[in-house]
Amino acid sequence: MTEAPEFRQWLEREFPRGASEWTDPVSRRHFVKIMSASFLLAGMGLAGSGCRRPVEHLEPFGKQPENYVYGTSQYYATAMATRGGAVPLLARSYEGRPVKLEGNALFPGGNGGTDRWAQAAILNLYDPDRARRFIRGGNNATPDAAFDRLRELSKRAEATGGEGLSFLLERNTSPSRMRMQKLIAGKFPKARWYVYEPVDLDVHRRAASTAFGASVKPIFKYDAAKVILSLDCDFIGSEEDAHDNIRRFTQGRRVEKPSDSLNRLYAVETLMSLTGMAADHRMRVAPSVIPRVALAFASEILKQAGLDAPEVPAGVNPKWISECAKDLLAHPGESLVVAGYRQPPAVHVLAQAMNAALGNIGKTVVFLDAAAIEGGISDLAKSLNAGEVETLVILGGNPVYNAPADLDWTRAQGRAKSVVRLGYYEDETFEAARRDADWHLPAAHFLESWGDALTSEGVLVPIQPLIAPLFGGLTEIEVLARIAGEDVVRPYEIVRQTFAGGEDAWRKFLYEGFAEGTAAKVVNVDVDPNAVKSAWSLLQSEQAAMASMSNNLEIVFHRDHAVDDGRYSNNGWLQEMADPITKLTWDNAVILSRKTARQLGLKNFDLVEIKLGDRTVSGPVWIQPGFADDSLGLALGYGREKSGRVGSGVGFNAYRLRTTVAENFAAGATLRRLDGTFELACIQNHWSMEGRPIIREANLDQFRQHPDFAHREKLEEPPVVTSMYPNPFDTAKEKGLHQWGMSVDLNTCIGCGTCVIACQSENNIPIVGKDQVRRGRAMQWMRVDRYYAGDPTQGRLPDVLKTDSDQQFEEWIDDPQSVVQPMFCQHCEAAPCENVCPVNATTHDNEGLNLMVYNRCVGTRYCSNNCPYKVRRFNFLDFNKRPLKDLKGPFYTTPLTHETDGEWDLLRWWKDPTEPTTGMRADDEWDLLKMSKNPDVSVRMRGVMEKCTLCLQRIEQAKIAQKVKAGPSGDVRLKESEGTVPKTACQQACPAGALVFGDISDPGSRVSKLKAQDRNYSVLDNLFTRPRTTYLARVRNPNPAMPDYHEVPLSLEEFEHKEGNPFEESGESPATAGKEHTHG
Amino acid sequence: MAERAIPSKLPVVPKELERIPLVQNQRGFAWISDRIAGVAEGKTPLWWWMAFVPSLSFATLLLCMLAYQISTGVGVWGDMRPVMWGWDIINFVWWIGIGHAGTLISAILFLLRQRWRTGVNRAAEAMTIFAVMCAGIYPAMHVGRVWFDWWLFPIPNSNGPIWPQFRSPLMWDVFAVSTYFTVSLLFWYMGLIPDLAVMRDRAKTRPRQFLYGLFALGWTGSNRHWSNYEKAYLLLAGLSTPLVLSVHSIVSLDFAVSQLPGWHTTIFPPYFVAGAIYSGFGMVLTLLVPLRKICKLEEVITLRHIDVMCKVTLATGSIVGYAYAMEYFIAWYSGNPYERWTFWHRIFGTYWYGGAAMLGFNALVPQLFWFKWFRQNLVAVFVISILINIGMWFERFVIIVGSLYQDFLPSSWGYFKPTWVDICTFLGTFGLFFTLFLLFLRFLPLIAISEVKGVTPQADPHHLLGGAKHEEPEPDDEVTL
Repeated sequence: MTEAPEFRQWLEREFPRGASEWTDPVSRRHFVKIMSASFLLAGMGLAGSGCRRPVEHLEPFGKQPENYVYGTSQYYATAMATRGGAVPLLARSYEGRPVKLEGNALFPGGNGGTDRWAQAAILNLYDPDRARRFIRGGNNATPDAAFDRLRELSKRAEATGGEGLSFLLERNTSPSRMRMQKLIAGKFPKARWYVYEPVDLDVHRRAASTAFGASVKPIFKYDAAKVILSLDCDFIGSEEDAHDNIRRFTQGRRVEKPSDSLNRLYAVETLMSLTGMAADHRMRVAPSVIPRVALAFASEILKQAGLDAPEVPAGVNPKWISECAKDLLAHPGESLVVAGYRQPPAVHVLAQAMNAALGNIGKTVVFLDAAAIEGGISDLAKSLNAGEVETLVILGGNPVYNAPADLDWTRAQGRAKSVVRLGYYEDETFEAARRDADWHLPAAHFLESWGDALTSEGVLVPIQPLIAPLFGGLTEIEVLARIAGEDVVRPYEIVRQTFAGGEDAWRKFLYEGFAEGTAAKVVNVDVDPNAVKSAWSLLQSEQAAMASMSNNLEIVFHRDHAVDDGRYSNNGWLQEMADPITKLTWDNAVILSRKTARQLGLKNFDLVEIKLGDRTVSGPVWIQPGFADDSLGLALGYGREKSGRVGSGVGFNAYRLRTTVAENFAAGATLRRLDGTFELACIQNHWSMEGRPIIREANLDQFRQHPDFAHREKLEEPPVVTSMYPNPFDTAKEKGLHQWGMSVDLNTCIGCGTCVIACQSENNIPIVGKDQVRRGRAMQWMRVDRYYAGDPTQGRLPDVLKTDSDQQFEEWIDDPQSVVQPMFCQHCEAAPCENVCPVNATTHDNEGLNLMVYNRCVGTRYCSNNCPYKVRRFNFLDFNKRPLKDLKGPFYTTPLTHETDGEWDLLRWWKDPTEPTTGMRADDEWDLLKMSKNPDVSVRMRGVMEKCTLCLQRIEQAKIAQKVKAGPSGDVRLKESEGTVPKTACQQACPAGALVFGDISDPGSRVSKLKAQDRNYSVLDNLFTRPRTTYLARVRNPNPAMPDYHEVPLSLEEFEHKEGNPFEESGESPATAGKEHTHG
Repeated sequence: MAERAIPSKLPVVPKELERIPLVQNQRGFAWISDRIAGVAEGKTPLWWWMAFVPSLSFATLLLCMLAYQISTGVGVWGDMRPVMWGWDIINFVWWIGIGHAGTLISAILFLLRQRWRTGVNRAAEAMTIFAVMCAGIYPAMHVGRVWFDWWLFPIPNSNGPIWPQFRSPLMWDVFAVSTYFTVSLLFWYMGLIPDLAVMRDRAKTRPRQFLYGLFALGWTGSNRHWSNYEKAYLLLAGLSTPLVLSVHSIVSLDFAVSQLPGWHTTIFPPYFVAGAIYSGFGMVLTLLVPLRKICKLEEVITLRHIDVMCKVTLATGSIVGYAYAMEYFIAWYSGNPYERWTFWHRIFGTYWYGGAAMLGFNALVPQLFWFKWFRQNLVAVFVISILINIGMWFERFVIIVGSLYQDFLPSSWGYFKPTWVDICTFLGTFGLFFTLFLLFLRFLPLIAISEVKGVTPQADPHHLLGGAKHEEPEPDDEVTL
């Protein structure tokens, strides 16, 4: 008996299973204590003035705090720091725990839109895999021991003046961090600072500083530009502040009436990017050609500079460049040339020189003072290898995973005698620093501790915590303060001291979420002609060298739309978000063009090995329409070996090929096909709209000629007959106080996918894992459909009898036009889903919402079959209660045999069937998962259909609030003019303002006005489902002089090919003309 | 009878007009009782065990699969978006289609005085009941929350009250299928009563005597019993007749009421009924062709029976083929691009093999039955009947998966693949079906003994000579008497 494992375990374990899972120092009891303490913080914050009293010592409250209303949410202004800026946020806190992040609509110039990373950041807070312990040499240590270590570090640095002390930081704009850095630099002058970002977005600043001879960074005013040329600049996708750029750019795409003007976007790029998809004209070229195109542009635009014109690279139509340049030149002061972060600084210098020549400086691009940044990781590696570093302090970042491959970072890091690291995860860098002298401190989430940041325009924003650190994590500034030997080490006090303003200003700062008047000054700059000349000659000589290398594949390393540089690798929402371009989830792929794939004999999912120098990496092939030939696109941030239960082992690690000399592009890669295939999980299998009028488009000319083009581009409707059974909603709606509706502007939606994550966060939508995505069971209520349209006359066969896997070989995908469309429950007035449900689980309310009664649903799934928009989602496998590892088919773990935390699942259920069990999730995972859920939205069980509710919970809360406010007056109607109509989560998050929700029975509401526009149409209108969600048709603005000009958008051409010319005035319905073309 | 004189001259029927008797070789009543009841008596033959053990194993597999699915979720099947119904509903429709032949034979053919039905109706009815049982498993178990299935029934409840949605075809399904099952079961049992009494009288052990006696309800064969029995049988036949037509019409409305291209078709009710009868007869042939051999019943289930059933298959198969043609015509004629897409892709799309199997096996293969050689060749009949079953399965596959996988918005298109659970569950329903059918063979007379006796030549009151080659005197002949 003494040898029985149970007995041995009993001996070893003082407490029952599970109790000791949360390692010291944060026990579950302590956790609950902190939770209740956070109620206090929450409650205090709701003071009538709206200003929060800074509370540092958290105590559980025994008495109800004043003004604390149980069950209602509080909102706090905070911010999420990005590399070179910050996203101002409004965080919603429910009983002391943050549940949703929204953009701060009060922020000057902002519209409350955010990016997908800000929306998803809250999931990182509740990540069960985040670092929870203080660790010395791989063993748990107490925080005090860690603080002692920092004190010792400080003392030693004092003695040596900082000799041998090096810091490796991530880019950040925090003034407090800057202050701490200066403090340390003052005290320990020999300490060295290094900054490393694997995706280096700082090139804009560096190049601008070169071009103008002053330390400045550019801010691009896309809203002021009429003509924009992007040189590989995905400014609405992967550049810094993309959400802000989207807001600015789409302001120029918004049309209300035919006389309105549109901006025009030209894009030159290798990848298919969001910018390329939104562009009116797009040129795809290999990476090495882009600088040459830039040179060609420069020679057109900078004629007076006396630069000799280079040859236009082969395969590039010189007319494309000359006509585009003409267009730019025709819009002096309202045009803009931008170069992307991947481009070498010389291209940026040329772009700025062109902007100067076009008179854009101070108009569409302004320059702000910016401080230079310290040395990079190569310098640090050198210094490490030289044995100059005694203690390496790594704050954030994950260099072991993402440092350039040629630095051999793991070895270099090991040269330091001691590594002290502050990390959010126990990741690869943690694994490489497990010697006895190495320390790992858990980092706090930005919602857990105080901080500050500057937006890219230099506006100071606070980072307010909403909850005490769940696992005792620290912030950078605290660690730095401790190393500096400061007495004040509490982040709050540090930030407060940095702010330096009076108490009133401080409160206002926290309340509003920004400090007014702190924006960086715009400086006047002049182009340094020498810089331009040297950039010119540098590029020319480089290009000459490039041209001699031929027949090689060029690699583009790019920032991923989901996991960024790998930092969001363990975030399930982002992993499962369809890439806005490829619509792939859960993986990166070797992206290449159809032609290149054909030359190499490859097709989708083939495994290939890419060799660059002596380094190799292997991954699956994905053929991307519109991708440049002879190039490979490798997204960074995947292939993490030690990420967490979500991110480990997802995709392949492109960093392995990346070296200091070729950070963004690499030429000379070879590709070898390996045996076997690797299936990718793509959310959208079919690329073409097949001529169906789903997304309706016209060029600006057609819009002006036929403002009603959206109604012409429709299929013939069946004759209307009086129904024997009138729709009960037609009478019911007369009793509705409001009539809800939604309008989606396809002209401004660029398909970034922020709404998808916002919806997921608001509505407690579970993730399902790669295998389930492949089985077509993704749960997101919102999706962004992306279609490619090819020229029907170019290689596009009229017959469409091809399977989806054939589309990758078709020529029409070489230069497609792309269109995107957010799709979610359309809330049809005559909803096909409703009458087929045998149990009345989906019904209509009298305000026009198609309701889904989860409690009533038995899961026949008939509603989904009958939904023409396929927006209903079915919970096939208890996605909330199954961990990812149990969501891999085809053999799923069954509760009949499964044990969770050492106890048989059925027994757990039998013991207390009323208490929801954790399903198959471990207790620790479950506790955090529960905290992340929005309490206003039910968490759906398996076997139940779910779908977009138009954020019913927000509507109901607004109604209740209005009822309370109305009191005896009975004025319970929500009015947009009074600001009482709520915003849906997707609408709130949309940086483009493309989604507008509101009351369509109020003629003054924004949504009513949008729906009154000529461009308004409903998808599949010939089915008479009468959706409440309607779309504003898209208008393109191509330049007729361009060689790739199409008289009508290609999608319209496809429609015309099948259904006839919608603009023909033949008297009969346009859809009946030209029927003989139709085929299937 | 004895008063009537034997006619001096019997009309002689020309050889080529001679009707083949329904029981061959002028077998007597006792032989019929012995032979049919004998299948369910005596030592259990080896072949029975050889069939029963695997059947029971597969039935057990079904139980395991259902337990797995209910405990784990519908996700263990291949169902996905956009194909939310996969093998579950395919198999439901397939089994329920098979369950059509029995009641058609016993009810409609009874009303139409098709006397050949007596040779096959009992087994066909049993097949119907078991097939409907297999079918019923699917809609009951395919829902996400099986434990709330009762919400589909209009049971008064305290929640509101909330009633089912009477506009939903699934609701109608519940009524149609349960009514059909109940009436078919009653009808089958009704018909069994006189034969149960035979079994009772022949039983040699107490338990058999008791059990057969219990279920024979005290049948003595008195005139009054027979008179009541005949009336009840006629009534039930009348009641069942509309049900034969309604069940599959209603099932077809699951599709026709929706607005999916490929589903939203007014032709569906008659088309589905024809298809159901077609597949039902296919299954009857599949079962009876080997059975008559194994149970040595070739004299009762004669080649003529087979021939007639082949003709029914030919007729219904041709109706089905016509329906296919109409569907294509309308898809083209309507000009509706969604319809056109769906129908083109039935033949040329990803699932082209489904379309090929459907068109080939259902519309073309039965045309072989125009030739007598195929109708008389038992191997050919058996092979064709199997093809019919496969073809009809693919018809449902094409209609369900083939319409769902590519509907209105191309962004949502997807591919359906069955999982091992789908396949095992389907095999399991076969197990259940054959388990029940084998038990039926072993314990109940598989042919209606009393009815078959009624169609033997010697049972004809006008048949005075016995062994005459015609069953009924022609009216003309009677005049000459």
